[in-house]
Amino acid sequence: MTQEAIVLPSRRPFDLAWLHQNGIVRALGNRRIQLALAILGPILFLTVFRPLLPIQGPLQTNLREMMQPPSFQHLFGTDKMGRDLVSRTLAGVQISVFVGFAVAALALVLGLVMGTLAGFFGGIIDRVMMTITDIFLAFPSLLLAIGLVSVLGTGMVPVVLAISLSDVPRFIRLQRSLVLSLRTRAYIDAARTVKASQLWLMTRHIIPNTVAPLLVAASIAAANAILVEAGLSFLGLGIMPPAPSLGNLIRDGQSYLEQAWWISTLPGAVILLIAISLHFLSDGIRQVLDPRSHK
Amino acid sequence: MNALSPLERKLASAAQTSLLDVRDLHTHFLTDTGTVKAVNGVSFQIGRGERVAIVGESGSGKSAMAMSLLRLLAYPGKVVSGQINLDGRDLNQMSERQLNQIRGGEVGTIFQDPMSSLDPVMKISNQMVPPIMRHLRISREKALAEAISWLDRVGIPDAARRIDGYPFEMSGGMRQRVMIAMALSCKPQLVIADEPTTALDVTIQAQIVELLRELTEETGTAMIFITHDLGLVARFAHKVGVMYAGKLVEFGPVKDIFAHPSHPYTQSLLDTIPPVDQPERRRLAQIPGFPPDMKVPVVGCAFKERCAAAHKQCFETAPKLSSRGPGHTAACWRPEGLGTARHLNAELVPSMVSNTEDPVVVEIFNLHKHFVGRSVLPWRVPPTVRAVNGISLSIRKGETLGVVGESGCGKSTVARLLLGLDPATSGDIYVEGMAQMVFQDPASSFNPKMKLSDIIGEPLVVTGWGTRAERGDRIRELLTQVGLDEGYMQRYPSQLSGGQRQRVAIARALALKPSVVVADEPTSALDVSVRAQIINLMVDLKHQLRVSFVFISHDLLTVSYISDRIAVMYLGEVVEYGLTDEVFRNPTHPYTQALIAAVPIPDPVAEEARTKKPLSGELPSPLNLPLGCAFASRCPKATDYCRAEKPALRALSPTRDTACHYAN
Repeated sequence: MTQEAIVLPSRRPFDLAWLHQNGIVRALGNRRIQLALAILGPILFLTVFRPLLPIQGPLQTNLREMMQPPSFQHLFGTDKMGRDLVSRTLAGVQISVFVGFAVAALALVLGLVMGTLAGFFGGIIDRVMMTITDIFLAFPSLLLAIGLVSVLGTGMVPVVLAISLSDVPRFIRLQRSLVLSLRTRAYIDAARTVKASQLWLMTRHIIPNTVAPLLVAASIAAANAILVEAGLSFLGLGIMPPAPSLGNLIRDGQSYLEQAWWISTLPGAVILLIAISLHFLSDGIRQVLDPRSHK
Repeated sequence: MNALSPLERKLASAAQTSLLDVRDLHTHFLTDTGTVKAVNGVSFQIGRGERVAIVGESGSGKSAMAMSLLRLLAYPGKVVSGQINLDGRDLNQMSERQLNQIRGGEVGTIFQDPMSSLDPVMKISNQMVPPIMRHLRISREKALAEAISWLDRVGIPDAARRIDGYPFEMSGGMRQRVMIAMALSCKPQLVIADEPTTALDVTIQAQIVELLRELTEETGTAMIFITHDLGLVARFAHKVGVMYAGKLVEFGPVKDIFAHPSHPYTQSLLDTIPPVDQPERRRLAQIPGFPPDMKVPVVGCAFKERCAAAHKQCFETAPKLSSRGPGHTAACWRPEGLGTARHLNAELVPSMVSNTEDPVVVEIFNLHKHFVGRSVLPWRVPPTVRAVNGISLSIRKGETLGVVGESGCGKSTVARLLLGLDPATSGDIYVEGMAQMVFQDPASSFNPKMKLSDIIGEPLVVTGWGTRAERGDRIRELLTQVGLDEGYMQRYPSQLSGGQRQRVAIARALALKPSVVVADEPTSALDVSVRAQIINLMVDLKHQLRVSFVFISHDLLTVSYISDRIAVMYLGEVVEYGLTDEVFRNPTHPYTQALIAAVPIPDPVAEEARTKKPLSGELPSPLNLPLGCAFASRCPKATDYCRAEKPALRALSPTRDTACHYAN
């Protein structure tokens, strides 16, 4: 009976278990994640250590140096009040990144809970939730966020709430579809034959297996939230000036595009870099967590 | 070999005029983690009209070899070197364009999965007619007529109308018939069939195999037939090639190979199959270990680690194919392989006379399960699938009940009802103690994120069994019972082979000491050698723990080996029920008779002697069951009385129940 040799099959390096133990090592080995970190890392580093940098504060004005083009002293130039744009951009990044991650986290948690309930229990809960998400999904997310902001008011908290609420339906849909495909797995049936509770099935068998795709969706949602926040601020519905969100900076420079291109363009380029690197990050996460997609 | 015997000379000259002459074929898969040498120097010849079966376990390179012949491998597969001479032309030297003239023309192909090998959005006619026009150079009208006549020949009723249908309108068996018609319609000299019947039910498989044999004989088409089913080989092939680790290890005429296998691998493969007629049961042979990693160069014989007869030479130099008789070659240093005395070593399995004193642990009475669909119009009666239509069974302690039947007969539904996974529509199920399950697909039966200790311990944790330390001890005990060591506790399911997973599944099922374990096709996803290990394990556990098993399978040989009693199901009903050996020796229901006749047995001589009259027709839809006997539409003995009056399961003898008006 014990004749089957006890040999560790060493020829499956891409399995989940191996990842489990070496997930971070492997993530850092992924080309896309490296690229994302190469862009995000310095930006975040500078953002965190901005107070220590030898530059003006983001709100400090200097009327003798208004609308200066980029120079050694002011790498991104200055705006109409003589505020240093590197400093303001970094402060804006701080707000944007916070908004991005807060939105992603909130949308992920809400989507996870509601999507799991809808997919697992089905029936009337599912139908009600799907009808509501369908209605939400019928609107473009920026439009929805504008609508919500006009109800909730402006400022950091309302913006985060508005954007995450407009993202939640997508997460619910995703989570529900994942749960539906997992619900009929044999290991769920095996647990049911020993009378495992619904809570046990959801927390032990279903949710752990949906985390990977949700993380991918969350990193895309973070990139999207940064763009939407910039959009809202640009429209004057987001973070209130003089707080320097990236959208506010672009709006400030908008009227001076011909005289001082740098005011809008350079913060805009930073948004682009952050958004692109978050997309690389999500692609990388997907590659690392899904053993099949390895090239 | 200095002087050729006259026979060998004759064979050599035959080889020169053979249809297909493959020489030293090498195929590699260039993956990121290394080059997998899937086919590693294969040479063989096929004569005109000859049917050659290639057998081997998964990963032996048999499919890669077959696909290499027509260069049908997708990236990263690549034919690296070798000659593929078809009628004197080397296919390996041809351009893609030239090869396209051969593909589908001189060489037809039939693939395993009939569900995905036809284009779902194209009419059958559009898939059949253009190749015929191109290869036979005839007009559209003639090609259409040809296509219809082929569909007719493969047994598609109303071919002229069906040719304008789409694949989804046909069943799996029908689609495989269409594939055969397509493969043969361009008058090929050779057909390559890659597991053409694996996805089909036994009775349909018997029909398809019979059809392939008749048609290839009629047209003189040669055939390469890839399979892992040695019974099919015995029924169908003229010659057999056994592949292991990318090489042919034995090649020869079918009767010769089955009567005198000389490579240890072939010998072991043949010994892993439960024998058909069994006055006494011996343990099945099992092949220890795993096939070698094909990325690493093999020194010596690839089979040496798993071979009981391996000696020094086997570890140093790889044996080449050498003659073992007329046309029979084997690649082993030992002329006899494992030797002929190997059967005597097999232990006898103590027979378990089923004891009527033993308590009944499972009692099923008049069980029904109906799946009600949604009706098109609210006032119409909704369509109802009667998946289980009134069955009654009982299982005693320590007894193994085999449930057989084709797909759709309701055997898996019975299992789910028994486990309480689905509610029954009506009827009673009584289980003394607990029922647990071993699932078919070892890949999806475990949560990939859980360690084995958590998987096996889950039933214990959920039911609040013992303390943490006690649970740990129980998990270790269970692992030992299924033949795994403690080191496995920290592993994840993806680190296990299919056989090990099935062991873990059994350990999990046994955790709470259930009175009955339901095993739904537990071995059908496994290779033959591993299958034997799992069957041996289940037989051991049955004796050690006196646990009852319900063994559900379509593999009649396995069921007959392991079960004490057997229930044959057809369309949600039990049509025959009795002691296994009795039922197999003397089936009384026409369906049981047909089922047993359809199962190919791994003995070419016996196969030749059997009458091959496969059951016609397919399973009727369970949506609208016939009024009378459900089997009447396919039964050779059916009368009007059968069609009008439903036969009840009645006792023919104290140990046998049959649902047939005419059984005696």
